[in-house]
Amino acid sequence: MRKIFAIFWKDTFVRFTSPLEWLFFIILPIFFTVILGAGTGPSDDQRVKLYVVDLAKTSLSENLFSSLTESNSVHPVLIELNVAVSEFDERKVSTVLIIPTTFSQENVINNRAELELRQQPNNMNALIAQQAVQAVLSRVSSAVDIANASVAKAESIEGFSFTSNDARQVYYNQALEQAQTLMNEAPVRMTEVEADTADPVSYDPRANSSAGQLITWVFIPLIGLSAMFAFERQKGTLRRLLTTPTSKAVFLGGTIFGQVVTALVQMLALVLFGIYVMKLNWGHSLAALAAMLVSSALAAAALGTMLGTFVKTEGQANGLSIMLGMVMAMMGGCWYPIELFPQTVRVIVKALPTSWAMQGMLDIVLRGQGLSGVWLEALVLLGFALVFFVIGIIRFKYE
Amino acid sequence: MPPILEVQNLVKNYGNFNAVKGISFDIKQGEIFSLLGPNGAGKTTTISMLSTLYTPTSGDAVICGHSVVKEPMAVKQCIGVVPQDLALYEDLTARENLNFWGQMYGLSGKTLSKRVDEVLEQIGLVDRAKQRVKTYSGGMKRRVNIGVGLLHRPQLLFMDEPTVGIDPQSRRAILDSVKELNRQGMTVLYTTHYMEEAQELSNRVGIIDHGELIALGTQAELTKSVGETDTLTLHISEEEDPETLAAEIRKVKGVVRADVTDHEVTIITPSAEELLAPVVTKSNELGIKIRSVDIREPNLEAVFLHLTGRALRD
Ligand SMILES: Nc1ncnc2c1ncn2[C@@H]1O[C@H](COP(=O)(O)OP(=O)(O)O)[C@@H](O)[C@H]1O
Ligand SMILES: [Mg+2]
Repeated sequence: MRKIFAIFWKDTFVRFTSPLEWLFFIILPIFFTVILGAGTGPSDDQRVKLYVVDLAKTSLSENLFSSLTESNSVHPVLIELNVAVSEFDERKVSTVLIIPTTFSQENVINNRAELELRQQPNNMNALIAQQAVQAVLSRVSSAVDIANASVAKAESIEGFSFTSNDARQVYYNQALEQAQTLMNEAPVRMTEVEADTADPVSYDPRANSSAGQLITWVFIPLIGLSAMFAFERQKGTLRRLLTTPTSKAVFLGGTIFGQVVTALVQMLALVLFGIYVMKLNWGHSLAALAAMLVSSALAAAALGTMLGTFVKTEGQANGLSIMLGMVMAMMGGCWYPIELFPQTVRVIVKALPTSWAMQGMLDIVLRGQGLSGVWLEALVLLGFALVFFVIGIIRFKYE
Repeated sequence: MPPILEVQNLVKNYGNFNAVKGISFDIKQGEIFSLLGPNGAGKTTTISMLSTLYTPTSGDAVICGHSVVKEPMAVKQCIGVVPQDLALYEDLTARENLNFWGQMYGLSGKTLSKRVDEVLEQIGLVDRAKQRVKTYSGGMKRRVNIGVGLLHRPQLLFMDEPTVGIDPQSRRAILDSVKELNRQGMTVLYTTHYMEEAQELSNRVGIIDHGELIALGTQAELTKSVGETDTLTLHISEEEDPETLAAEIRKVKGVVRADVTDHEVTIITPSAEELLAPVVTKSNELGIKIRSVDIREPNLEAVFLHLTGRALRD
């Protein structure tokens, strides 16, 4: 045990003799967390700005607008067409919703109503806005559907007919209003259902960036274990170690243990930054947090150990771990929400430990889940760890 | 007293390549034993097997009463190893390195810090102990490399070519420290391709070439085995053909053998003085100009030359 700590101290000293290491350990991760977290507007309102140009000015279009204001993911702003268009062209706003004059109840009834949504290409905010508009639209139009159905139903009652078109319109308006009121005043059960449909992109840039950057910057040095093993082999210190009465298990155990502990310290620092500076909800379940941090660190360390048996030189290993760490982090949804990936990609990236780590971390910090919400992710990560460790230790070259 | 090290038919193959071909020797307590041989002879491979780093393909060695194959951990406790290449953490200081390696040898607490201080004294680096190893000169790094092998007071110290690539002054210091360690009772297995080092240090010498131990004994025994011989080396200019000269010289009476290396002809003879005149006459007849002549008394170089027909450092 004493030897394991000696190896841990030695590795820590060797690693942090370079001031550059601090850059990677804490400065860059915090820098990126803040930058990416602040990417979308002021910190008290992270909703995506959506310009709405209302050319119709009907009760229906006003209805649509007021429904949009209730969305969690967009912040609609009523604006004149020319202003909206010029700002959109200058890329000052990602999305503009134009409600044309034809957007009336008659046209909705006849399925001829159209909306125009202008989006900046390849823009995450534009995608989020689109999702929100679609969700709201489906809610508004389903109210319209209900009103339509009520009118049809009334007309189908035998011996009943509207005395005039006006009477029919009055009936329709009442039905629509009622449907909308009911939907807006929907019970809690209802809003939960809506949370799924109205905001399919559960996204808070600060929570996502805090979790994503934490995973990215911890995975990279842990995959870098491969470089440490290559370093010890190249420098001849591994050979020398094996001539001392120290077993191979102590060497492997001490090296891996040390890096996992260092990674946990790093993660804890980033979590504390998230809690105290960014006011994020990391701390509500210590058990869930511990499960995710430990299982993620072990999976990454195991990957590094396995990788170490495939590389020859320290330089090779360093390059590979930075590249692999970055790619895995990006594909795992640490830099962009995984919901924005095509469905097939979303399935494929399940093969990456980073995507499980990200999912579990978001369960904690974004969705506020406890241990019961993250045990599966933690278990999958431990599974990765087991497989990688076994391959790595079997293949480990001591000479 | 049984030998502290007993090598029995040690063999090491790297794939198809036969690097060490069944060597046997033993080392007595308190002696300095040198393995002398050119680069690639198999010295490092042999030391690696003795220090339990490589498993022998066949054969065994018993060190401090323990088999390297069956009881490697017990062997490790008894030996200190100074590898041929530096094996240090250059980002750490000398003291931090010694502290770390001391712990790997199982030292701790007061014993550890006392040993680290003693070793720093011994290798003459007390003043620089707090500086990182990467700021050291080659000679200083070598001394730290040696110091690490001494921390746990091993009974038997393996030193694999510890003087390669360093300045003469550091080399002198290292040779002196080996002698000093030996005076204090440490048994040393020293490998080198420098004949002078083996000659200066060792009680007994094993000469190794192409993985085989071709001679073994005290220096006196070894030189006697090649007879009362002197070595006469003729240096000729680069334009001349040494082979022609060697061929003619072989016909001269009193020449045991004549070998060519670069622009030299090395002659082994019972008496160099008597041979000098006829050899100079021969080269004059051939029109080959001799630039200088060396005459050496019997030494290990001559033994190697006698046994292999090659100079040690070719
Ligand atoms: N790991 C290895 N794999 C294959 N061949 C090796 C290996 N190590 C050494 N050799 C070969 O074995 C021979 C002996 O090497 P070595 O023991 O290092 O010699 P020395 O230390 O006497 O210079 C050399 O020909 C060398 O090329
Ligand atoms: Mg060697």
